[in-house]
Amino acid sequence: MIVYDIQHLNKTYPGQPYPANDEISLQIRQGEIFGLLGDNGAGKSTLVKQMVNLLRPSSGTIRLLERPLTHNPLHVPLNVGYMPQESAALNNLTFGEALYFTAHLRGLSRTAAQQERDRLLTLWQTESLRDQYSSRLSGGQRRLLRLAVAMAGQPPILILDEPTNDLDPQRRKLVWDVLREENQQRGTTIIFITHDAIEAEKVIQRVGIMRAGKLVANGRPSELKQAVDQKLRLELFFAPGQEPDVPTHLPKHVVQTGHWLLLLDWDEGTAVLNQLNLDQIDDFRLYTATLEDLYLHYAKRP
Amino acid sequence: MQNGRNAQPFVHQVWNLLLIELTNWRWSWRSMIVLGTIAPLLSMLGLSVFARDAGFEALTYVLTGNIVLALMFGIMNNVQSHLIFMRFMGSLDYFGTLPVRKSALILAIILAFFLLALPAVLVTTFVGSWLLGIILQPSLWLLLVIPICTLPLSGVGALIGVMARTQAESGTISTLLTLVMLGLGPVVIPPDRLPSFLQTLGRLSPATYAASALRQTLLGPVTPQLWLDVGVLLLLGGLVFWLVDRKMDWRQRQ
Repeated sequence: MIVYDIQHLNKTYPGQPYPANDEISLQIRQGEIFGLLGDNGAGKSTLVKQMVNLLRPSSGTIRLLERPLTHNPLHVPLNVGYMPQESAALNNLTFGEALYFTAHLRGLSRTAAQQERDRLLTLWQTESLRDQYSSRLSGGQRRLLRLAVAMAGQPPILILDEPTNDLDPQRRKLVWDVLREENQQRGTTIIFITHDAIEAEKVIQRVGIMRAGKLVANGRPSELKQAVDQKLRLELFFAPGQEPDVPTHLPKHVVQTGHWLLLLDWDEGTAVLNQLNLDQIDDFRLYTATLEDLYLHYAKRP
Repeated sequence: MQNGRNAQPFVHQVWNLLLIELTNWRWSWRSMIVLGTIAPLLSMLGLSVFARDAGFEALTYVLTGNIVLALMFGIMNNVQSHLIFMRFMGSLDYFGTLPVRKSALILAIILAFFLLALPAVLVTTFVGSWLLGIILQPSLWLLLVIPICTLPLSGVGALIGVMARTQAESGTISTLLTLVMLGLGPVVIPPDRLPSFLQTLGRLSPATYAASALRQTLLGPVTPQLWLDVGVLLLLGGLVFWLVDRKMDWRQRQ
């Protein structure tokens, strides 16, 4: 089932010469984890703000669950949990109050909203923050609060604008683990914007890459990788000054002293590995193009 | 996969939004005390020096005019600053993505600031009447008149908050309008002390009708003028709230 159906979407802000969104057509299916990548100013936040009906498109259509967004003023709020990039909406409330009120206003009874608050406090490992005012939380804690608030009441679709910014590695891992679990256990459709391409690759099922307002790539990461770059990457780590022997025809990029990157064709991977003298190297990694390589390819090319 | 859940009934929405809005006291109680109570009391003290020589009627204008001032500071200015803050800090986006109606949010904001301003209004009324030596003769109509007085004042505050281009602009317009509405028409000064053009212009200001209605229901006697005052206040309130509804940045409509 198609959850979001976006057709020929254009958005130009008043007084701006170029569109923030330019002819975007995109479909998102139920139960997908869809990542939206792109540089700052590429138009990602503008796109999601239109998807949650906070911005009016200049032209084009967005349908949610087969209905136009404006079909009913409560159509989007009843089905979508949105986490904005920044918000001071909850500054006067404690962590626990913000979760309770959001869950209750999303239709849960008082008792169910209290249970939902406790579930989310546990899920996000924030029990100790329950009675803290959100204005006194650190940047990372506030981001976790916004994530938990977006999930309060268990809406079937989540739209998250940069969910892992400001977070330390441990909490970033928690975010991706929770989102993956939410998707697998409840079938929640998750759409998110991120700059964290390497981490996002662990959960992303389909990716859209935006550049200068246009959606320049859209598909499963594996499909896009095949279309862009079929090279294997072999990284070698060795003691400085003790360079290992590698086939001379392979282009060799020196990442830094004691760290090389070699690009191999698919059919030569096994042969090159067999030729490596493992006594000459400390460590090695062999992998295909990453989501970050895709991002750099599509988002940065002129 | 559509969420089978329904939005809360309108009354529940207002109640929960009101509870959220009441938490504003956590950041604004200082300014509410200073502006809502101390400013009207100081103004009353200053004006009473001149009004004593002008007679009892002038003192009644000082008292009721300053209660209107307490309402303007407590409700109009606070609603204005709260709404512009909500616009610029993303709070409206948060509420816009919850299944709540815009009218429920506006009503909750006004109710919250009305409740938060009530202590200042009561202190201004009782301390003011003691300072000025005026015996209060409140009518039961007062219970209706006070909320009706707040309607256009809070609506004007909301309109400034949703239309101003910046937070600084919003604050300046609101303060300026407070002063203009106080000086325009017989609010703190009796009509016989005002030039006729100010009296005429005062007919356009909700503060004039609020002061008149408060004077009649707080000090007596209630005259047919009260129904005209209440009618104009309701009309102006309806008009500004219609404008607020049209202008407030919210979910997109069909």
